[in-house]
Amino acid sequence: MLLEVTGLSKRFGGLVAVSKLDLSIREGEIRGIIGPNGSGKSTLFNLISGVYQAEPGGRIVFAGEDITGYPSHEIARRGIARTFQLLRIFTQMSVLENLLIGYHPHVRYGSAAATLGSASVWTEERRLKDEMMELLGFIGLTDYAEIPAGELSIGQRRLLALGRAMAMRPKLLMLDEPAAGLSPVNVDKLLSTVLALKQRYGLTVVIIEHILKVVMESCDTVTVLEHGEKIAEGAPAAIKDDHRVIEAYLGKEMGDAEVRAFLKAS
Amino acid sequence: MEDASISAGDAVRRDLGARPLWSRLHLPWVAGALFLLLLPWATRNAYHHYILNLILINVILAVGLNIVKGFAGQVTVGHYAMAAIGAYASAVFAAKFGVPFWLALPAATLFTGLVGAIVGIPAFRLEGAYLALATLGLAESVRIAIGVTDYLGAAVGFSDIPPPVFFGRPVVDHIAYYYIVMPLALAGIYFSFCILRSDIGRSFKALREDSLAAAACGINVRKYKLLAFLISALYAGCAGSLQAHMAPGFLHPNSYTITEMVTLLLMVVMGGLGHIWGGVIGAAIVTVIYDLTRDYYQYQMAIFGMVIVLTVMFMPRGIGGLIDDYLAKRRFVAIRRAKANAA
Repeated sequence: MLLEVTGLSKRFGGLVAVSKLDLSIREGEIRGIIGPNGSGKSTLFNLISGVYQAEPGGRIVFAGEDITGYPSHEIARRGIARTFQLLRIFTQMSVLENLLIGYHPHVRYGSAAATLGSASVWTEERRLKDEMMELLGFIGLTDYAEIPAGELSIGQRRLLALGRAMAMRPKLLMLDEPAAGLSPVNVDKLLSTVLALKQRYGLTVVIIEHILKVVMESCDTVTVLEHGEKIAEGAPAAIKDDHRVIEAYLGKEMGDAEVRAFLKAS
Repeated sequence: MEDASISAGDAVRRDLGARPLWSRLHLPWVAGALFLLLLPWATRNAYHHYILNLILINVILAVGLNIVKGFAGQVTVGHYAMAAIGAYASAVFAAKFGVPFWLALPAATLFTGLVGAIVGIPAFRLEGAYLALATLGLAESVRIAIGVTDYLGAAVGFSDIPPPVFFGRPVVDHIAYYYIVMPLALAGIYFSFCILRSDIGRSFKALREDSLAAAACGINVRKYKLLAFLISALYAGCAGSLQAHMAPGFLHPNSYTITEMVTLLLMVVMGGLGHIWGGVIGAAIVTVIYDLTRDYYQYQMAIFGMVIVLTVMFMPRGIGGLIDDYLAKRRFVAIRRAKANAA
């Protein structure tokens, strides 16, 4: 298993956001995570990526190493890249610079060499700029390399957020609602980009998504959360018909007796 | 469509590839050094040499402040206190312990760097206005502490700081002192360029914009905050030491008040917060204006304050930002035009 989460919980005051969650992600799979609003999907991402600290008792093991309680940057350095629901791209920096920030963990020169402006820094910067231009071509933003990221459209920003995560050369890519707010055409474009990236770099991908089309078409396995608990897990086709999942999304189907009681009460 | 975008991509890549070799990249620096070397001949009198020295010392201060405030986004109001620490440390080393200037300068610089790194620790938890208040408090206590310490001359001032001695000759003339200040300022600008154009500078900008996202990209936020405070304090320490040993070798705590800090902020804001040339442009302009309007000194603060507000409102990225926007737009148009021609 690439990622093994056991007994993970998170409380905010009295509210239980994630409760004793177990999750195993196989290397090379695409995992979808779905669930109604407030079911703990994003909290799960924040726990895995070290933004939040889990309650005692939870454990997160990545590639054989226990990373529970590690700070964010250490987790990122070990190969977990994520995107944010609200993107959080660096709007005042150029598109190319955004990608270069993603590449930060792999920069090879030290602070002293950087301060003195040695030739090795210059060659390394040129090399990684070339490399990032290639990635930029892959996500289709080459023309915008030197434009401030804040001037991009929403669709382009989503692609850039994906590109920044990819620049980290991750083993595990976690996407938090990558297709939210996109037009159907752009959803397809984003989906094919994710699949192409996965093919090319041999990634493992976890996707939180509300657009069911994305989940059904691209995921190998789907995990369904409700109230911070896992209520179902399996192949997309099986999940679609699971009565607990339908209940979670649409509410419980009422029996005759219940309907009568409900009508009487109102 | 596909072909056109590839050709535009090639245009950008060609452009990146066509950047000059590392050695040629240093030509502008040689030219700049030559210009500064000959500059005193273009001036008329010793007062101009004094102003030149003042500008260059302010350049060092402003470049340092721009690193911590403009690039790393840490709102510090304590930069001038760092200069005070550097100045008094250097003065003590030289006047009380007889350490020659050439050793007192690096010693004071390192000492200030250390203090700066310690001052940076509150920045782990505080942000924006809160950090500004904390650093203001620290800075004011430094000034007041100096003002009541007899060892440092208290409110009378610290006098008889020995000038640098160069091959047995004391450097008292402003024109001679210029040749000590100028190389240091030039080196300061050069190092800031190297730092800010490298991965370190990019990381600073990332934590300025969004420290959570920066951490998710593998940036150790605490380390880089500390580094920013350390570097800027090194600059301030060096500038302070240069202030101390410049003729007439006198320091007074009143030269390190909040007024000086506002002037320094004006330099950086006007030149361009977070612009690589911001500190240099701002220090030059503001120092000259400051000197030209000396007769109206009681109105200076009011005018400077107004200029800061107006700059922030109408030119938020300063003079440097205006230049940058112009260049970036021109490039984008050129790329688009190349694409249209190819299609």
